[in-house]
Amino acid sequence: MGTVTIRDLCKRYGDLLAVDRLSFDVQRGEIFGLLGPNGAGKTTTIRMIMDIIKPDSGTIEILGQPPSVRMMEHIGYMPEERGLYPDLKLLDCLVYLAELKGLSRTQARARGLELLERVELGDYARQKVKALSKGMQQKVQFIVTLMHQPEIVILDEPFQGLDPVNTELIKSMILELRQKNVAVVMSSHLMNQVEQMADRILLMDHGQAKLYGPLHEIKAQYGRHTLLVDVGNGAELPETLRGVASVTRHGHQYEALLAEGGTPDDVLGQLVAQKVPITRFEVGSMPLDQIFIAVVSRNHKEPTP
Amino acid sequence: MRKVLLVARHEFWTNCKRPGFIIMTLLVPLLGLIILGISLLAGGRVTRFLEEQFAPQPKRIAYVDHSGLFTPMLPQYEGRFLRYPDETQAIAALRDRHEQTVVVIPANYLEQGKVLAYSIKSGLSSTLASDSTELRSFLVDHLVAGRLDPAITARLRAPYSVAPVWLDESGRPSNEGIAAMVLGFVIPYVFAILLVMTIFTSSGYLLQGIGVEKDSRVIEILISSLSSTQLMAGKILGLGALGLLQVLVWVLSGWGLLIGAVGVFALTGSLPINAWQVLLSIVYFVLGYLLFGTLMGATGALGTSMREGQQIAGIFSLGAAVPFMAMNFIFANPNSPLAIVLSYIPLTSPVTMMLRLGLTSVPWQQLAFSIGLLVAAVALSLWAGAKIFRLGLLMYGKRASPREVLRALRQA
Repeated sequence: MGTVTIRDLCKRYGDLLAVDRLSFDVQRGEIFGLLGPNGAGKTTTIRMIMDIIKPDSGTIEILGQPPSVRMMEHIGYMPEERGLYPDLKLLDCLVYLAELKGLSRTQARARGLELLERVELGDYARQKVKALSKGMQQKVQFIVTLMHQPEIVILDEPFQGLDPVNTELIKSMILELRQKNVAVVMSSHLMNQVEQMADRILLMDHGQAKLYGPLHEIKAQYGRHTLLVDVGNGAELPETLRGVASVTRHGHQYEALLAEGGTPDDVLGQLVAQKVPITRFEVGSMPLDQIFIAVVSRNHKEPTP
Repeated sequence: MRKVLLVARHEFWTNCKRPGFIIMTLLVPLLGLIILGISLLAGGRVTRFLEEQFAPQPKRIAYVDHSGLFTPMLPQYEGRFLRYPDETQAIAALRDRHEQTVVVIPANYLEQGKVLAYSIKSGLSSTLASDSTELRSFLVDHLVAGRLDPAITARLRAPYSVAPVWLDESGRPSNEGIAAMVLGFVIPYVFAILLVMTIFTSSGYLLQGIGVEKDSRVIEILISSLSSTQLMAGKILGLGALGLLQVLVWVLSGWGLLIGAVGVFALTGSLPINAWQVLLSIVYFVLGYLLFGTLMGATGALGTSMREGQQIAGIFSLGAAVPFMAMNFIFANPNSPLAIVLSYIPLTSPVTMMLRLGLTSVPWQQLAFSIGLLVAAVALSLWAGAKIFRLGLLMYGKRASPREVLRALRQA
């Protein structure tokens, strides 16, 4: 069942078409990557879902209802620009924001302490927010989103400004959400992070959807033509191989681009026949950022219809 | 409603803990207490000093009579008046500080009624002498001595003393005295000043709070948790309660100090209060605060910084100040067209009405019309204010154009 359903969404700021006929769905229990370069319209789209700004046209449905303050109680939202009450104690801040989402005071306290423990900030519950480091505040911001156990979680650039350790922590918590059948929408311009987690993606550029679908299908579509081959000491890849268009060498590593009609099986067969000592043979999918660059630059060449 | 109260509670407690608020709230009673304490320590001396200031002891008056009407002096003025044969002697006595005041009655006194009062420069006594009932009795008694019966002479000395009688609505004389009269005016006046102070204190906190929420971007989370109307209503409610708390602390401590002062200075007099007037004052206070709070909150949110927000919101404080500027006219004639118009315009009506209530009995039609208009204005400002507030909240570092404000108002 769709949790967020968007049809033909448009938003114009003056001469700029920030969001242009955008349609997509987000399912329960999936991590949905909302991708695109800066200024692609990701945050505008999220703000329209959150009913912070009104669309010019098109429809948004949240659990089958138009956006409203009441529906927002089902959503946990982490804005792109982070901030909390600097003068409030950490727990008080969490409790206040959770109460506004409909939790009772006692529920909010218990949940707040539990989540603070989870992100290793249990000892800071009675400290003022401004006494925390930036990374800590970021973690607090993340748990603010989860306080009321929402069915939909929308995270605008969730890993911005986090160190690798905390990034892993947040990642694992996002993956837990998926297990609990929560729909997670994650916007980012950092492709590699989304690549490791997202089930489906929407790639936006200039307010339009450029790619939309399951990540593995998109990668299959774009990535079937690179081979990553490592050879043993002293050995070299043969000059010419059937079905290979070009080869680039980085030390012992080779990256071979398949020609039209070439298959990985055929190339492997040739290498085995020629007794090349192979230490690694991998059918490389194109990294998402390469796909992204390919899609975006293609669009920049062609004038948008 | 639950969310409104949540916001109100949050705003109330976070601002209540501000050192600035605590200091401001406690400073006023503390100052009063210090003053009272000093008076207590100084004890009787203060009372005596005050008595001397306000009720100077009757002093002997020296006089020189050129008209012959006051010679010889009537025996009952022996000791209080002293006649000198000529000015030279009298003035010499004045210079030697034997006398404080010398009154010279010229030969043509009967025709012109003019007397001269001499005193050493910077002394108040000559002015006091010119005003004194003592001198008046002296002159009257000598002029009519033996010619009129003593009762008429007494009336000539003091023709009247006014005993005011106030009638209540039903035409019965009310037994409230001058204290009630003064308090009847003072209470609305104090309420008017408190209203203005609360508006400024609370709107200051309101704008500061919005500034923090805008800067820290918490506002996006808030706006996706509750409607902007709820948010604004909660803030105004919470900060209004805070303002009232401050006012209450001041009023109660003032009351306590007053009671203390009554003890210390042995002042007498009861403090009767007109319940109806107090009730109306509270109604105007609450409505007035709501109107100013919403208007200032909404427009303040449009500013890019707190300072700018305060500047924009400051326009409305003019509305509260206008009745004070026009106070002379309102005092002179509380039922003049200007006063009536000012008590209808929603921005000026709370303060104007409070002032008028103390000065005159305002017809109920005017009260009803004025309160009706004020309620309508509060409803309108809540409705429009919430939209403008929301528009302002989401604008960062950018000023809203009038067109954007209009568009926000049209949007459902």
